[in-house]
Amino acid sequence: MSQSRGSQNTYLLVPILLIAVLLSTAVIRGPNLVSLSGFGSAIIVSAPLILATYALMALAVAGRGTVDLAVGPLLAFINVSVVKLNGLGVVTSPLGVFIVALGIGVLYQLLFALIIIVVRVQPIIVALSGFLALTGINLVILPRPGGVAPDWMSSWGLGNTIFSPVLLMLVIATGGWLLFTLTSFYGNLRMMGYDERAAYTSGVRINIVRIGAHVIAGLFVGLAAICYTGLIASGDPTQGTTMTLTAVTALVLGGISLSGGRGGVTGALLGALNLFLIGYVLATFNFGAVQAFVTQLFYGLILVLSLLLTLLVPIIGRYVYFISPFAAFMVLGSIVAGIMLQVSTQTTYVATSTAPVAVPAADVLGRYLLLLPGDPTGAGLPSFSPLLQVLFVLAAVLLAITFTIRVTVAEALSLRLGAFLYAFVSALILLLFFVVAGQSQPLPGDQPASLGEQR
Amino acid sequence: MSDLSPRTDRPAMAFIPRSSFLVWLNLAITLLIGGAGFGLGFAQGLSAQLVILYTVISSAVLFWLINYVAVVFESRRAAVQESETGEGARSASGAKGVWQGNRALIIAMGLLLIAYLIVTATVPAFRTVPNLLGFLLLEAILVFAFKVSGVFVHGRSAFIGLIVLLALIVISSFTIPGFLSGPNIKAILLFAAFLGIACVGQTLVALLGGLDLSIPFVIGASNIGLLYLIGLGVPSWLAFAIVLTVGGIIGLINGVLSYRLQGQALILTLGMGFAVAGFVQILTSIGSSFSGNVYGTVPGWLQNLAAMNGVTFGLAVPPTILLWIVLAVIVIIALRYSAYGRYIYALGGNRRSAKLVGVSEFKYWTLAYTISGCFAALTGSLLLGWSGGGFIGVGDQYLFTTLAAVVIGGTSLMGGYGGYGFTVIGVLVLQVLSAFLIGIGLKYEWQQFIFGLLILPMVALYGRMPHIRSQV
Repeated sequence: MSQSRGSQNTYLLVPILLIAVLLSTAVIRGPNLVSLSGFGSAIIVSAPLILATYALMALAVAGRGTVDLAVGPLLAFINVSVVKLNGLGVVTSPLGVFIVALGIGVLYQLLFALIIIVVRVQPIIVALSGFLALTGINLVILPRPGGVAPDWMSSWGLGNTIFSPVLLMLVIATGGWLLFTLTSFYGNLRMMGYDERAAYTSGVRINIVRIGAHVIAGLFVGLAAICYTGLIASGDPTQGTTMTLTAVTALVLGGISLSGGRGGVTGALLGALNLFLIGYVLATFNFGAVQAFVTQLFYGLILVLSLLLTLLVPIIGRYVYFISPFAAFMVLGSIVAGIMLQVSTQTTYVATSTAPVAVPAADVLGRYLLLLPGDPTGAGLPSFSPLLQVLFVLAAVLLAITFTIRVTVAEALSLRLGAFLYAFVSALILLLFFVVAGQSQPLPGDQPASLGEQR
Repeated sequence: MSDLSPRTDRPAMAFIPRSSFLVWLNLAITLLIGGAGFGLGFAQGLSAQLVILYTVISSAVLFWLINYVAVVFESRRAAVQESETGEGARSASGAKGVWQGNRALIIAMGLLLIAYLIVTATVPAFRTVPNLLGFLLLEAILVFAFKVSGVFVHGRSAFIGLIVLLALIVISSFTIPGFLSGPNIKAILLFAAFLGIACVGQTLVALLGGLDLSIPFVIGASNIGLLYLIGLGVPSWLAFAIVLTVGGIIGLINGVLSYRLQGQALILTLGMGFAVAGFVQILTSIGSSFSGNVYGTVPGWLQNLAAMNGVTFGLAVPPTILLWIVLAVIVIIALRYSAYGRYIYALGGNRRSAKLVGVSEFKYWTLAYTISGCFAALTGSLLLGWSGGGFIGVGDQYLFTTLAAVVIGGTSLMGGYGGYGFTVIGVLVLQVLSAFLIGIGLKYEWQQFIFGLLILPMVALYGRMPHIRSQV
């Protein structure tokens, strides 16, 4: 009984805990993160990593120990191809670039899947083969970093806005996978990853399922390459190996099982963000000349530690089954969001220290209340006395906690993170973005314009 | 070569064919080829000492090899004759039968033909007689590999590897002037020795079903670490010993940590490698203005050990090559005849039964990783002697070439099948191919591309997994 009540997603507890710690540290160490450009650049910098991790995740779920080591060189290959074709003037339009990028990704992954299915070689060998071949051919296409990305991409790398096309791509990719999880194809995929023989004997057409997983991975790699091209605004054939290593690290940090059957977009997202935040936090310490080495050391140590932590997943599942990852995410998320707002408003105070009461209390309060779910009465407060305000906040906090616990219990019983809760979390995140956007930039009007223009 | 597994139907050491006619024939062939080599050696003006040494070695190896092949053919023919009555009914007749029997071969040959025609049609400079000959040779190799290698029950991969190696040497000696000259062979063997020593651990670990991706980082770290220690004033032999010990300790940690996480040994060793490389770089850049690079003087004995102009007992051969040969013999014999080696095969083949028999899984797993770390450190130290300056990136290319050599040789990454002899063939194939590609003027990136494309068909020839249908 107690076994069946545990959440399937207990493996997410570790990355959630890690991201809370890292995000708090990052915000305290480098308050610039909580600003329009801070978030904007964070998104554009981490987007290729996130999408590449999604691709690895889709393949890891398919089982047989498929770790596509070639994901980095493939990304670099698409990047270099796009830049080269743009330089030759063959493909410059957005539609063309998307077709080329996604097409190469899908074609490569299709080939990968067919080789695994028809030739029946171990996936790791195919990946190794692809890694060497692509790394070599990248340098042939573009001997050294250079070239120019298509014009319409040039503003992406600046990262001075949150609602960029890159965010749109991330949202589409994440949402697409979440929609995909509702289909029976996803069930077959997980079953195949967990036990291929069982899937085969129960009538799953494993070849089709495997091809499907690879095609999805190819799409993710294509998107990642577009984001990467936008980020560096040129071509770089040399970063493939690094990208592979970091994406694999992110995959493991996200708690995704490399032996197949367990994994999801949430874990991959959290893992990639964790890795980005590790880099961010380390960058706030000034190690001077040994900065790169310290980063390398920490990447390695954290990779090893998080792998060892995955040993604890069954134990966590046995003893703390009543904590759903969603609840942990909610509680830790509100704490971190509180810290973030605290830090950001603090800087507002510091910036406007000549006029200490420039920011009205209600505004601050409203901002805090915005984060507490289930309290719609945040608006009409300014006339209350401070005592009443405190009381009100306490009541709101209690209300929020009650709501969270209610949701938590329901979640722990329902065994799955429902689509509704995903929508809820994303709404929460979007609200946070709006708050930050409104705070750092008094002109929210030009964001939809930039969004529309890019499409 | 270690591709001879002890069989039950004949003595384990039967390297001599039963029919005395074959023995005499082999002896005659060996003497002929040995004599030809002897004459050629003097014709090229090498010193008598060297010529005699090479002739003796090559004749011995050749004699052993053809005798081995003859033995395999003999026993195979006997086995076929025994089971002929049962198999007669299965063979279909006519064109359909030919197609079904040789599907893969026909497809492969067709693809090669198409590729050749396309290249010939598009590149005018490609239409030369040597290229045509090379193409025909490749097709012949394919036929040979498919039809003849089927005769071997064990060591198919080694046989194919040897054929490919032979073909490569023949093609390159025709197309590249000076390919068979002394210095070039010495260079190929030297780089093969570096790769081969780094591959010792990878082979052992792969035999257990694991992977060690920390090797390149340990190589780089020991490379700069050794020079750093020498620069601190530590006696060079002590520094060498310290580096080897630390490499072993890193391997031990790898083994202990990955023991419970065997499915993810790949990632864990990668993480360890990252951490080690980062740590050593931090250590060596403290108080130094050159971050990451270490400068210093390499002791003379280390330089002599690995540099191209090194001298072994008066012979102008770098001792590293000799070291590799001795190591290879030791590892091959140890894997075949020592309890340690047999237990590794047992664990890799079927872990559960091996455990039930009483083999300590933990002990052998950690031991294999420890050896791997130790040999990676040794490679890094030797590379320091070769290059004369510390550089962390010196091991980078070994990240995938160690794996590629093991895979091309034919050791299964799933464990339980293969051996260091296979890896030696894989290393030689890689190095000769690389020398060939450099010789015909291709750059490093093209080499890498071709390596990548080469691994797949080589593995596909012998490393295919059974269909899921037959696994249920």
